[in-house]
Amino acid sequence: MLNNVKHKISFGQLILVGCVLILFIFTFLPFYLMVVSSIKYQMQIIDQPWWFSLPFHFSNYVKAFDALWRPIINSFIVTIIGLVITETAASMAAYSFTRYDFPFKNIIFFSILMLLMIPGFVILIPQFIQMTNMGFFNTYLGLAIPPGVHMCPLAFILMRSFFIGIPGSLFENAQIEGANNWMIFTKIVVPLSKPVLSTVAILAGFTIWNNYVWSLVISQGDKVQPVIVAIAKLKGNINEGDGLKLAGYVIASLPLVILFFFMTKPFISGITAGAVKG
Amino acid sequence: MTKNRKRYLEAYLFLVPIITFLAVFKYYPFFTGIFRAFYRWNAANIDKFVGLDNFIELFKDANFGAAFRNILIYSASFLIINLTMPLFAAVLTYNIRNERLKKFFRLGFVVPMVVPMMVIILMWRWIYGGSFGVLNQFLQMIGLERWRHAWLGEPSTALGAIIFINFPWISGIYYLIYLAGLNNIPIDLHESAQIDGINHIQRLWYIDIPLIISQIKLVVMYALIVAMQVFQQPLVLTSGGPGTSTLTPALYMYQQAFTYDRFGYASSIGVILFIVLMALTIINQYIVKETDKLD
Repeated sequence: MLNNVKHKISFGQLILVGCVLILFIFTFLPFYLMVVSSIKYQMQIIDQPWWFSLPFHFSNYVKAFDALWRPIINSFIVTIIGLVITETAASMAAYSFTRYDFPFKNIIFFSILMLLMIPGFVILIPQFIQMTNMGFFNTYLGLAIPPGVHMCPLAFILMRSFFIGIPGSLFENAQIEGANNWMIFTKIVVPLSKPVLSTVAILAGFTIWNNYVWSLVISQGDKVQPVIVAIAKLKGNINEGDGLKLAGYVIASLPLVILFFFMTKPFISGITAGAVKG
Repeated sequence: MTKNRKRYLEAYLFLVPIITFLAVFKYYPFFTGIFRAFYRWNAANIDKFVGLDNFIELFKDANFGAAFRNILIYSASFLIINLTMPLFAAVLTYNIRNERLKKFFRLGFVVPMVVPMMVIILMWRWIYGGSFGVLNQFLQMIGLERWRHAWLGEPSTALGAIIFINFPWISGIYYLIYLAGLNNIPIDLHESAQIDGINHIQRLWYIDIPLIISQIKLVVMYALIVAMQVFQQPLVLTSGGPGTSTLTPALYMYQQAFTYDRFGYASSIGVILFIVLMALTIINQYIVKETDKLD
């Protein structure tokens, strides 16, 4: 009897897992084809699109990396500047809102929240004119400031709800010990808030790194061009063809994918926070 | 009194960075954008107040009409896709008994999410591309040569091809949202359902779906807001063409500004889009609030 039930369950489970597996295979098929084709020359891709074929042209990767290493460094610089803006401005504001009562608190609060409703592209044009007039065209700051600022309201909300959860006795004790608010903020709150700071870092870093349209309009040539723009311009010679481009796409994906496997948890909470709160 | 004042000052000092940044880089361009919607303006020598002319022209503009039609088709498809496929995958994953397999699939479906959207778009451009594109080769292999197309180059297939990107549309935030909802369902509800002899489909329809209704509402609103803004895909893949078959309002705005230097006209498109999105967001807030009450 017991055996029977067990058997029945495992049969249903088999179908279930089979269905998921099919969806899984279809999800990864394009990525598989991309990786397989990235070590081929154009003729090999046309002759045998579905499987590896000899010879392997790892030179595609060498050449693509040659074209992309500078843009990748640019992307890191831009992302870090943007993150510093988001994390600093949002955490200080969140601290102020959890620790103080002051006039116009509600008005300031809502004027921050309101910005969640303004999608980035609505201000694309005036922002472009503004940044150009301020001399930020084709600079790291020009690439980093708008997306960094764009992430502030959401980061502020996430941090505020985290800071509220820090026990008040910690603040009181520190105050008795003679610490001022700046010290409490930097020495107690920030170290305690690593989870929310890393959630914000992932969420904002991801958005800034992937920001294509703004990067496209505010940069020109190679000087500060981030990788997200550079990959769209990749070109192989007549032999290499698509293989070189695909190698470039793989290279451009690796930094985030590797990071993801090292810190899966903050990544997932960062990605989800973006959708649920935004 | 002075003590209070000192505290206020401290509080405001902590707010200086965020207020400065948001005022200068958000509110200022936002209001400039609205203001400029009433101007004929090319950011250089032409700068003239024209009242509502831009909006009047916009409502007569056949391209804008086509763009709106496209975005409606796109949004409806995007909505249907994200209400079915990720939910289906989430329900399946949720019901897997083997914990290790379950974990493997859950993690696996997340991985493509961290691949830059741009890479995914370019990858699909390659899949669709040319007569030796992977998709066309595949069709030839299974004997459907007649179905081969220049997918992104023909007016009848281009919009469909853009919608089809990401097939089977599972890897995404929506899958995680559904899964989180399912994981919140109390386990004893399923146990008592099993005792009552309810089968899996009945359980899904009468227990699981009603219990994750707030997640479903979240997906509806979020997907709509995302879909209404789509323009990276057509910008990279088709530039809105052929003709206007893949033009979207946001892309039209971009082109009017950066191709034709019609910054005033582009701003008026931005204002209209903002109003539509604002309405959606307010409805969204209202719905989310309502579900909070239900919980």
